[in-house]
This record gives sequence, structure tokens and C-alpha cells, in this order.
Amino acid sequence: MKLIFEYEEQTTGYLSDENISIGLPNELIRNELPLPNVSEIEVIRHYTNLSKKNFGVDLGFYPLGSCTMKYNPKINEDVAALEGFRNLHPLSKENCIQGSLQLMWELEQYLKEITGMDTFSLQPAAGAQGELLGLMIAKVYFKQKNKKRAKVIIPDSAHGTNPATAAMCKYETIVIPSDIRGNIDLQKFKQSLNDEIAVVMLTNPNTLGLFEENILEVCDLAHNNGTLMYCDGANMNALLGITRPGDQGFDMIHLNLHKSFSTPHGGGGPGAGVLGVKSFLSDYLPLPRIIKQNNKYIFDNTKEKSVGKIRSFYGNFGMLVRACSYIMSWGSNIRKVSEHAVLNANYLLSLLKEVYDLPYNRKCAHEFVISSEKFGEKSALNIAKRLLDYGFHPPTIYFPLIVQEALMIEPTETESKETLDRFAFVLRSIAHELRENPQVVNGAPYTTPVGRLDEITAARKPNLRWAPPK
Amino acid sequence: MDFIPTTEKDRNEMLKQIGVNSIDDLVKEFKPAFTRKLNLPEPMSEFELIQHMQMLSKKNIILKYFLGAGSYNHYIPSAVNHLLMRGEFSTGYTPYQAEISQGTLQAMYEFQSFICLLTGMDVANASLYDGASALSEAVLLSSSYNRRNHIFVNEGLHPQYFEVLKTYCNAADLELTNEIDDKTSCVIAQNPDFFGNIENLRYLAERAHKVGALFVICVVEPTSLAILKAPGDHGADIVVGEGQSFGIPINFGGPYLGFMAVRDFLLKKIPGRVCGMTTDNKGNKGFVLTFQAREQHIRRERATSNITTNQGLMALASTIYLALMGRNGLNTVAKLSYGRAHLLQEKLVGAGFEALNKKPFYNEFVVRAPKSSKKITSSLFKKGILGGLELGDDKMLICCTEMNTVQDIESFVSVIGEVS
Amino acid sequence: MIEEIRFSKEHEWVVIEEGLARIGISDFAQKQLGDIVSVELPKIGSKFKQMQPMAIIDSIKASSDIYCPLSGEVVEINEGLLEHPEWINQSPYELGWIAKINPSDIKEFGSMMTKEQYENFVGKIK
Repeated sequence: MKLIFEYEEQTTGYLSDENISIGLPNELIRNELPLPNVSEIEVIRHYTNLSKKNFGVDLGFYPLGSCTMKYNPKINEDVAALEGFRNLHPLSKENCIQGSLQLMWELEQYLKEITGMDTFSLQPAAGAQGELLGLMIAKVYFKQKNKKRAKVIIPDSAHGTNPATAAMCKYETIVIPSDIRGNIDLQKFKQSLNDEIAVVMLTNPNTLGLFEENILEVCDLAHNNGTLMYCDGANMNALLGITRPGDQGFDMIHLNLHKSFSTPHGGGGPGAGVLGVKSFLSDYLPLPRIIKQNNKYIFDNTKEKSVGKIRSFYGNFGMLVRACSYIMSWGSNIRKVSEHAVLNANYLLSLLKEVYDLPYNRKCAHEFVISSEKFGEKSALNIAKRLLDYGFHPPTIYFPLIVQEALMIEPTETESKETLDRFAFVLRSIAHELRENPQVVNGAPYTTPVGRLDEITAARKPNLRWAPPK
Repeated sequence: MDFIPTTEKDRNEMLKQIGVNSIDDLVKEFKPAFTRKLNLPEPMSEFELIQHMQMLSKKNIILKYFLGAGSYNHYIPSAVNHLLMRGEFSTGYTPYQAEISQGTLQAMYEFQSFICLLTGMDVANASLYDGASALSEAVLLSSSYNRRNHIFVNEGLHPQYFEVLKTYCNAADLELTNEIDDKTSCVIAQNPDFFGNIENLRYLAERAHKVGALFVICVVEPTSLAILKAPGDHGADIVVGEGQSFGIPINFGGPYLGFMAVRDFLLKKIPGRVCGMTTDNKGNKGFVLTFQAREQHIRRERATSNITTNQGLMALASTIYLALMGRNGLNTVAKLSYGRAHLLQEKLVGAGFEALNKKPFYNEFVVRAPKSSKKITSSLFKKGILGGLELGDDKMLICCTEMNTVQDIESFVSVIGEVS
Repeated sequence: MIEEIRFSKEHEWVVIEEGLARIGISDFAQKQLGDIVSVELPKIGSKFKQMQPMAIIDSIKASSDIYCPLSGEVVEINEGLLEHPEWINQSPYELGWIAKINPSDIKEFGSMMTKEQYENFVGKIK
């Protein structure tokens, strides 16, 4: 398809009859604005046709591990589009923003109850920014206590954001291997704990889809060492109403509202990466905080210990509205979400473990990792591409790094048994193809708008933008 | 509401297949068990939910805004939201599987192109969270590039952007200083600045480059780019900013759209996702995410940034907005915003206000009120107008866009006349 | 290859030519990394201790530190790699060399693995 820049010049509708002259000196104004003029109908067709080359949860099963691609209820879009939310200026006076503040305050209360934390900040725009805020808080916390702690412990199964975040805060990362049951290796963990360790960052259930069996002991050991426990809450969809990270002993957690709480992933964002902390860390959260006083909601800017702001205004408010709607739809029944997320994952696992290898033979949480190593190098990639021909989005592949030819599958609770059966059938058929006729799998996909793309040339000879012909 | 399709019959068959008796058997190792029911509201039907949310939204009071300060109330063509709401766009994730994500990827490529054309830069990424955090990412990039740790900020930076920058700098052990010297990693200037001033920044670019520092220009009101000289032509090495003005509602502050564009020599340092054009195995044109080795999922502790999820759908919104407006439409928006702001300033000066901008301005300006600015804003409020941001000492920061009609401007001015 | 070649445990190779150490990565290493798409070279004049990271090689799916196998100062870099990172894949011991350093302690060279020892070492990894 041609680019929007390649349409021939057309007349457009967004013009005014007003004649306004710009009284600015030449050194401040531009000579030309090299943008296209395309009519509305052509713009509509252009982007509608582009959308047809995409895949989304609305089109089919999307078991992308670690991303919780559940159904995004449409009502939440209507709620977020309400005039009173959408057209509110963030610098309006407090008497004009009571509805939005109430929504944010109530969302904080719900998240506190769900996680067992004491205070939330809704400011972080995504999970990675929530992590960053968490480590910023740790850094300021130890600095104010006059303690030099410059290291962070992260297990080898962790998301790449964890070590990248540590580096942004100039922390050194100590990597701890996983044991044979897929937990953090407790012996090695004990040996690595010392007075230089500021924070332990854990994902629970971890990225292998396994609940950390030693979590209570790990938290105790860390706390006795004066170390903070940080929970990467990317996998919260396994735990709602079943167990709470705050009760497990975590001091901080970020939640990805676009995962557990169903806000649409938008082709890569926006998300929301809200951060919850225990009360001894509350005063470090970014400003402003929202407090309720005499049935009014007001901003509190008085906390001197605060790390500061991490983005303008108050967060990705539109995503907060959607997540709040989702939580209110489920209300006190929300445990059912996680129960069925775990049921679906274990069911699918039971249908696949005979055909693919299971690196850790345990019941899984809301997702699981299998390996296609026995089918050879690049088999996970080839399986992923073959799945496209059957109308499925592939699982996450080659992650976590500690499993060779990893396929990380997260079905979510919103999928029916019929869909899971069909997906398992297809994955079993592909295993059969790999044994009988591997070139079929290795050459896939055949039915997509484009075939396998040349990523190597894309990186070596980058073409990253359109430019006007000279 | 219930979004789970599983019937009881299904559930029993599934449990049997797994080899357990109940779901509780599957979660018994999740410790400590939470034994009571969560203290959340009663579940709501769709009807109850929308009623509740309508009630909440009506507790907000929407006014006619003569206020910008980082959040600009421009008109959004209806077509933008219709296209955004397509599930094919909104319910996918990061386009790692390029074969089934060509729509998102091509739109990313078009977004990157639009940003480059508007900023006069070589390469742009596929979005960051918002303008303030994008500016902070620019500083991290700069320090990783030249391994210096002093940052110089020119006056006139949005105070919230400054706050965010300070937070990021504290974490990364970078220092905000008042001198430009051989320790300076980058020099930052906002244009138009927080008070609306526009200036030729060449002199600052030269000062930065003379000591080997990078020059960063921050754009908070990007419709200005339709008429103003491109930041690249001021000598910027990095341009960051806030894209909210391009088709994204003010939405109480988010989600917005951070953007970043750089010169070619910084290409491999740019944070976040980048889309590139390539070909498939049959020679057809196609798009992929490229330079992924820069990103956290591969480079881990050696990545310059941890950004993963960005503002994808917001970048799409502004791509569609820019496509719909086109050269003529965007020019109209900029001219109207400029014209209305200058009209209002002229009328306010006529009504006894003092104009405080010593330099030319675009669509925001500062005035000193002849009477208490508190009294003025509260009289305006009674007429349904939010008259600007009070800056203290009876100073007000006032903004116009194409949404502030000549009639609105007249009623603004007439209210002032009535204030005693 | 005429000159004597030695290897590090991190798969860098070294040959000494006219008193300078030419450095690259082994054929085994380039195969492990896959299609290399970019190289970050050290600056001329920078000094490294033995086994400090000196460069970064990115392939499509991996990013890898290159360690300086001998202590010393960088005197020359292979700038051609910036345009042609694929040389490391095509010719890891010739076209794909990364840097030349002036070694500060030539004894370190003697303690590195010989070709035979390295092949043995790689055999065990496989």
C-alpha cells in the first residue's frame, strides 16, 4: 500500500475563510511545510485498509505470554469518552475536577484492597515507568537514611525492563539463577544478600508462569537484611482475590492496568503502570497525591520526602477510567478472573505437554512455558510463523531467556474451551508437520498480507522515514 | 458483568483433563491464601456502570478554556476517533509479528515521517510517554552519548517538565547546572517557551556545540511547527515534545504523546521503538520494528532506556489527525491560534492589562491584570470561562486555539470590564 | 593464518603484529550471534584492563559485549565495520577485525588459549 505522503494533491475540508497575517520576523518562520493534502474519504480508506492488515484480540486468539491479551470490554471505551472526562483540562480548579478526582481516589482504594498495599500513585504511564518510579523511591529512601546501597538483585528469568530500569538508576544488577523447580535459587540468593543490596525485584508468578514457592522466606531474608522487596506485577492476572503481594511481603508493586485490568493495548500503548507501596514508603510517592477531606477531593503537594514528578499532570487518566470501569464491572467477584485464567492455562498445558517439552513439570499459574528444542534450532520462530496461517497470534517466543526455543503461552480467562481445544489441536498438528514435513513450517506464513520480512537489511540499511523528493 | 465464556460443563471437563477436582487445587500453592472476599463494590451491570460513570463525569465542570500550559484544546475531527476505535488497531499489542501487523507498522512509519517533516530532523522514534518524560529521555540519551553529566536548562521551560527532569536526573546521577562548559552534556531550550515567547535559538546551539554539548529543543505546543521555523533549522541535535495538540483530547492530562527526533549520528542511541521499511521474501514492500538490539528486552542492563509499552494508539491518533488536516488544515489551525491569541492580547491591553512578553509569541502570552487576577478569574468562571493560569503577582498565562471564537474573546473582554 | 593466534574465554581472538595486538571475535562467536547489524567501536586512545568491555556487537536478536583480551591502549579501529557490520560474519579473522591495541603487558598474551585449547573449549560448550 502506498504511503499517505504518496497521494496526489487533493482539496481538503479543514480550511478557514478568515484572513490572518502572521506578523513574525523571517528568522522565526518556516518557508515550507512539506505535508500532503489528502481528502477525508481517502484518509478514511487509507487507514481502514491499513487496519485490515492487523491482528488484535477482537479478531482472534492472542496468547502472547506475559502480555495478558484478554478481551477489552467495549463499555469501557464509552465510559472513557464521556464528555465530562474527555474534555476536562488538567489545570482546572479543584471545584471543577471533583468527578475525576473521585474516580482516581476510588481506583486507588480498589487497587489497595486487591494488592494489600497501603498507598498508590497513578502517575506512571507504563509498567516500565512504574518500575523506574519504584527504584527511584528506593534510591531516595536509602539516601535519606544515609545508607549506601548500590545493587539490585534480579533473577535470570526476569523481564528485560528490570535490569534496564536498575541501570537507569545507576544500580548494579546481581543476577540470581533459577533452581530446578523454576524458583529463584534460595541458596544463591542467601549468598548474594549483603548490606549493598538495595532492592530485590521479583515477578510473581514469575515469567515461567510459576508461583515462587519460597516467596515468604525470600521476603523475610530480604527484610532482615534491610533490603526492599519490589514486585513486578505484570502477572497479577493470576492472583486477583487469591493471594495479595502485600501479604506475601512485598514493599512495592507496579500493576500494568493494560494487562490485568483490560485496558486495550493500542498496538503498543498507552498503558498505565500504577505503583503501590507500603505505608513507610507512602511519603516518597510523586506529587500531587489525592486526598479526601470532608467529602471533597483535593491535591496534596506537601510531602517533602517525595521523589518528585515522573510525568506531567496525573498519569494516563483515560486508561485509569477504563481500568476502574473494569474493576467495578467485576466488583467483589473479581477472583473469578484469576481462577479462570489459571484454569485455562493449566488446561491448555495439559493438552500440549505430551507433544512439546515442559522444562519445569509443575502446575502453572496463568501462563506457562514450553520448549520446542527437540524440533531443532529456530523451531520456536517457525512454529510462531506457522500459527499465523491458522489465524492465531503466536505466543511470546525466546523468552524467558533461560529456556531454549521457548514458547510462552498465556490464554487468559476470556477464551472459551472451544478456542483452547482448537489452538491445542493446531499446535499438535504443527508438531506433526515438523516431524513429517518440516519445510512447510519453516517456510510459513503463506496466508498473511506479506511474507517473512528481511529484518537484517532493515537494520543494516535503515529506511525509517519518507522524505520529499528533491 | 461477567466476561468469562466457560460453562459449568466445560469447567468440569477441563478440571478432569487436568487431573484435579477443583480450581482451588490449582491455586493452593499461591501463598499466603487470601481467605476473605475482596472488599470491592457489588458487581455492576453495564447499565449500572454507565449510569454511575455518567454521574461521576458530570461532577466535573467543563469550561471554555483560555488555558494551555502544556495541554491544548484543539478541535479533533470526528474521523480520528472512528478510525482509532477499530479493534484491528486498538486491541493488538506491540507489532513483534510483522506479518500480521503491517497496519500498525506502516502507521508508525508515517508517524515517524510526520515528526521528521515537522521538526526538520533526520529520524524519529515511534513515541514516548509524554513531553516531560521525553525530555528526560533526551537527557539520558545525551549523557550516554558524550558521557558527561551536567545539564543546562534555558529559562522558560514548563515548570512540570523541569520537575520531571529533576526527578530523572536525581536517579541517573546527573546534575542541573547554570553554566555551559566542557562538562555540559546538553543544553535544553523550550520553543515557544512556557510564557509563549519565540526566539531564534541559533546562538544557544552555537554555545552548546562550541563546548561539545548537544542541543535539545523541546516543543510543547506542536501546532506552532506549522508556521514556525523547524527546530532542526535552529541547530537542534535532539527535538522532543508533546504531541497532544495533534488529535488527542485534553483528557485531564493523559494519555498524551511524547515524541523524539534526532540527527542521524544519534540514530543508534534513540530510545524506544523504531519502525523501518524493508522487503519480504517475495520482494514486496513491508515494515518491521528495527534496531531492537538497542532495547531493554535484548540489551537489558546496557540499554539506554527501559521503555517498552509506549503511546502507540496516541501516535496513530496524531498520524490520522495530521493526514486529515494536511498542510492546509494544520496551517489554518496554527494561523487561527496565533490570530486569536493576538486579538485577545490586543483587546486586553486596551482594557488596561500590561503585556509582559518582550519577544514575539505564538498562541500563549502573559499579562499583568490591572485588578486582582483572582477576582477576574472568578468572574470569568461565572460566565463559564477558564481565563488562564494565575502565575502570581496578578500575572496570568493566557492561551487561544482555533476553538476560542471571536465571540468567546469578546465575552472574555466584556467580563473584565464588569469586574470592579 | 601465519601469525600465532590466541583466544579468550569470551571468544575474542588476538594476533600480535609489529608489537600491536589485533583483536576480533571468533568464527564460533559470530555464528552464535547470527546476522550482525551494528558495531559500537571503542575510541582511539581509550585504555582497557584485560577483559574489560571495549565494544558492543548487535545482531538481530542479541547484543553482546566484546571484552578487551589484553590490557592496553586502543591505537586503531576498524571503521569499515560501521558501514559493513556483516564483515564480522563473512570474515571474522580478516575483514572483521575490531581494534588494534598497544598491549601494556605482553605476558597476558602467553596466558591466553592456543588455537587447539580454544577448539577444545568450544567443543565442550557445544
